[in-house]
Amino acid sequence: MTITISPIYLLNAETNEPETAELWDGITEKQLGDWEGEWLPELFKSVQKLHRAGIERKHWPQSRHWNWRRKTEALQGMLAQPGFAIVCNGITQGMMILDTAMKRCQLEGQKGKDIVYVDFIENAPWNRPELHEPALYRGVGSIMIRAAIALSEELEFKGRIGLHSLPQANSFYANTCGMSDLGMDADYQNLRYFEMTPEQAEAFIAKGTQA
Amino acid sequence: MVAKKTMTLNLTDAEMRALDELCEKKDLSKTAVMRQALRLYQLIEGRVEKGDKLFFEDESTKEKAEVMML
Repeated sequence: MTITISPIYLLNAETNEPETAELWDGITEKQLGDWEGEWLPELFKSVQKLHRAGIERKHWPQSRHWNWRRKTEALQGMLAQPGFAIVCNGITQGMMILDTAMKRCQLEGQKGKDIVYVDFIENAPWNRPELHEPALYRGVGSIMIRAAIALSEELEFKGRIGLHSLPQANSFYANTCGMSDLGMDADYQNLRYFEMTPEQAEAFIAKGTQA
Repeated sequence: MVAKKTMTLNLTDAEMRALDELCEKKDLSKTAVMRQALRLYQLIEGRVEKGDKLFFEDESTKEKAEVMML
């Protein structure tokens, strides 16, 4: 598996300084090792804190059940479902799996057109304000969405992307990314479905990287 | 940007017409359509090899028809 690594920057919220990082166009054993050895212990600690604070289970991070090793192994070598990762300070800070073949646009005006669908996207626990205050690195989600838009453009889908959002991330996709909210999808665990038009993609790219 | 390799593709008139129609309908270049077709073909082959079945479902009647992959 050949991985292309592109230089990027993340904002270190502790120092308030940009830090050099890398965008990988694949998920490798390095990422899966970081997920098992760094993310999961941190995630369990965060869930324990929420539990001890009496926070209802429905407010715990839904992605706690995601098994990146199983997902990655199932999609190994599949051209239609590429993975991406962000590495900073030697540790994986975010991962994403896209689907470029099996979904179509749902938004009026682009209904039925090809789309890059964000199947799974997750930030490392220490970068998530709801789990770790203050979050360590900012910009992981935005850079991932920019990578999805870039792939959509490269495939001639003109920047069109779509995703079902976990409740904690609804505001990010609606407000930071400026995606259209098509409401709760009864066919997909009642998660809200968001879609980006070519114009919205252009506006998001022009805005630059934010949290 | 990942490096790409060039190939020559020989198509019949009918195949070229079908490709042109898909390009027009999907607003994609010939290269983009062929790349998308490859991604889909590989995906379906992979799933069928694992023992999955491929179905088409009528959205209104919910009637399913299995696509036989031989």
